[in-house]
Amino acid sequence: MSRHELLSPEGLRIDGRRWNELRLFEARLSTTTAADGSSYVEWGNTKIICTVAGPVEPKMGSNRSQDGATVVVEVCFAAFSGNDRKKRARGDKRVQEMQTALQRTFSEAILTQLHPRSEILITLHILSQDGSVLAACVNACTLALVDAGVPMSDYVVACTAGSYFVRGGNNPEDEGEDPLLDMNNLEEADLPSVTVGTIGGGEKITLLQLETKVRLEKLEGMMAVALDGCGKLRELMDEIVRAHGNEVVRRIAL
Amino acid sequence: MPRELEPSTSEKTFVLEALKQKLRIDGRDFESFRGLELSFGEDYGLADVQLGKTRVLARVSAEVAKPFSDRPFDGIFQITTELGPMASPAFETGRQTEQEVLLARLIEKAIRRSGAIDTESLCIVAGQKCWQVRVDVHFLHHDGGLVDASCIAVVAALQHFRRPDVSVEGEKIIIHTLTERVPVPLSILHVPICVTYSFYHGGEISLVDATLQEEQLRDGDMTITLNKFGEVCQIAKAGGLPIGALALLQCARVALVKVQEITAFIQKRLEEDQTLRTRRDNLLESTAENPR
Amino acid sequence: MPISILPPRRAHTSKVAEFSRSSYDDDRSAAEEGEADVDMEGDIPMSGALQRNKRGGRTSIVTPGEVVTDDPQWMRGHGTYLAVAEEGEEVGTRIVATVAGTVTKVNKLLSVKPLRARYTPDIGDLVVGRIMEVQSKRWKVDINSTQTAHLLLSSINLPGGILRKRTSTDELQIRTFFSEGDLLVAEVQSLFQDGAASLHTRSLKYGKLRNGYFVKVDAKGIQRSKSHVLTLATANGGGEVDVILGVNGYVWIAKKTSLSDGKKDGKEVSITRLEEEASEAIYSSVNEFIAPATRREIARVGNCVRALVRHDVRVDEEMLNAVYEAAVEESMEERGDADESLDGDGGRRCVEKALGLDLFSGEFKDK
Repeated sequence: MSRHELLSPEGLRIDGRRWNELRLFEARLSTTTAADGSSYVEWGNTKIICTVAGPVEPKMGSNRSQDGATVVVEVCFAAFSGNDRKKRARGDKRVQEMQTALQRTFSEAILTQLHPRSEILITLHILSQDGSVLAACVNACTLALVDAGVPMSDYVVACTAGSYFVRGGNNPEDEGEDPLLDMNNLEEADLPSVTVGTIGGGEKITLLQLETKVRLEKLEGMMAVALDGCGKLRELMDEIVRAHGNEVVRRIAL
Repeated sequence: MPRELEPSTSEKTFVLEALKQKLRIDGRDFESFRGLELSFGEDYGLADVQLGKTRVLARVSAEVAKPFSDRPFDGIFQITTELGPMASPAFETGRQTEQEVLLARLIEKAIRRSGAIDTESLCIVAGQKCWQVRVDVHFLHHDGGLVDASCIAVVAALQHFRRPDVSVEGEKIIIHTLTERVPVPLSILHVPICVTYSFYHGGEISLVDATLQEEQLRDGDMTITLNKFGEVCQIAKAGGLPIGALALLQCARVALVKVQEITAFIQKRLEEDQTLRTRRDNLLESTAENPR
Repeated sequence: MPISILPPRRAHTSKVAEFSRSSYDDDRSAAEEGEADVDMEGDIPMSGALQRNKRGGRTSIVTPGEVVTDDPQWMRGHGTYLAVAEEGEEVGTRIVATVAGTVTKVNKLLSVKPLRARYTPDIGDLVVGRIMEVQSKRWKVDINSTQTAHLLLSSINLPGGILRKRTSTDELQIRTFFSEGDLLVAEVQSLFQDGAASLHTRSLKYGKLRNGYFVKVDAKGIQRSKSHVLTLATANGGGEVDVILGVNGYVWIAKKTSLSDGKKDGKEVSITRLEEEASEAIYSSVNEFIAPATRREIARVGNCVRALVRHDVRVDEEMLNAVYEAAVEESMEERGDADESLDGDGGRRCVEKALGLDLFSGEFKDK
């Protein structure tokens, strides 16, 4: 896909969004009734199922810590989730890195000292990848943890942002770099993108990942846009949780 | 297998209190690296880095191989990092701990994915023969800052390395030995350097280049990789303490200054080594002494 | 029995999608005006609270990170934390919720009860548990909570009477009392500092369970009440069936036998005679013969319990009896190829019959 098409001169991206628009974010809680908490997130075409078990008694003694609960994260990419069918080997380093990032992020947000000597098991299944996979995983985990009643200091929200270099062509004034909010697969393949995760949608960043080259000056713009997106996402997620909660309360009251 | 010993409570309190009073245990200020020493080996492609007490060795080697089927025009470039018991009794060979995986991924993202080496220049015959460049990183002593030290070692070794010259005559490919023709340096597009920040006290204090003790006591960390042109190659902040965006950008700016210093230092050491080498080669050529 | 494929239950997602889309539109238009500024207060209107009031009449659930109150008079209870003091404040007085749930205020204590949580043991709870591990002087019991509970050797009735001294022989023969995998009913005696429960079975009502069927349900469905051991008189020649509702969500449904009663010869055993009455038999692992008719009724009662919990109805004697009767009536009616099981629609119909109202709309309907 040629780079020119990623952002048209009118300012429309390939899926018709403008530079500061999020994709449609929909989620549901309590999708897997067998688990303590679960969620299903659809963010554009990225689809993720998350289940939480816990806090439970740890199976491995090494996970039993006196100070607080241990968070264990497992991520599974379905073989049919990408463009080509590819079965990931166990212990794939990229997956392990994602697991560690999620585990450390949530160990910070969850009030682990309330449940010493137990572990919280989070399992993610990625059904369809269309960009912003790590960010969507973070959001799915947050919703599942809220569903499970695990105490957290606030929502952990993540979003991505990229940077599109506009070539001047005839007009040198047109040249510049536009930050783009919420990257999809095609955009992530060609453009540099950063994933930003915050606790509470505020300014404090807990997860920051950049894997492609970008100029330092542009980084500030990208991070600002991503933080903005996190704020909006937090409101969306809060609405979803409230709607679900009110429904549950209504059913119990019957 | 012994786990890494955690610092005692009194050590912990002492170090953290000292940080509150703007003091570091080894007397540095918050933004300086430890003393960096870089030396090269006799052969091309061997770099020995000492960052304080941390010591890392990187060795580059190249051989001819068949390129991957989905990338016929690119050479193969691999970096292996294995933490062994030599570096610290807490590491075991064969078992991939979380730290090892993160380290391997960081180095890979910083150097390989950012395109430090032009892999297309490693191609000899498209689809059939290419150079397979392999960097092996050995950790000799672990005193914190493994990522920073190994990154410096790898880029220094890559810049130092010379591969044999190749001439293609129709169907035949001739690889000239090192004495026959002057060996060719690798085509390095940019030099990425990693800087690791450690955060304490709820984000108020950030240190550059933590020693092992400081690493064990930190609340959060972030590794930024930049090159001297001001391009950020990768940022990895995997959870840990939440830090404000402005503070992180400030860290990035300070890191840029450090990266420029270190790149200049590596360049200087490379040039020194080159002059030493030519003088030695010339001396060898012109001496009339018989080996005894 | 023909396999029936159930149509999906009516989902309630239409409302959710509406909410999320409308708030997304609002934020989007706000952002377009604001360009790439990092100014959070300016761009994003405090839409959450305003929109909630506009839509009117929302129940007061709070979500993690939401400030419940600013008033320093409240003490914080479970499900909340005290926010760190910001500049300008000396001490943090904002109480912030950590779970999604309803706010409960008791005197000066403000706590948030989560919508869903694992069972947390309280002193005096009657629980059904399963032995997971046998250690030297105690057992570890799984009670579906965040940590396994402990049952100390000194907290059980030893055959021969409670005043018998616990000897080392008892420790060596610990598996003759409870072994791994055994089910038991016990009461929570005390809690350890980290929240783990310590159980005891010091009554003939408690002890090893046999002759029955185990059902696991969501702990929310079974609330603490006066009696957790019910007896149902079953139809179709099933005899009498005991139902033990553990507060932790584990339920045991068994055929009624003389031992399971805690009574001997129809009379209550007084505590002074406990030592004579507690015999070896209370730790036997042998099940008695259960007639097929009884088994069928036991299974039916199990399904009724599950159906009740699935539809968020409190499980108590009255409700259970009503649903059981409805289930018996359902089974009497020949439904042809319709679903006979109580898991899906069948269960819902029984519960509705018992409650007398339509579960989805909440309206009363004529029985």
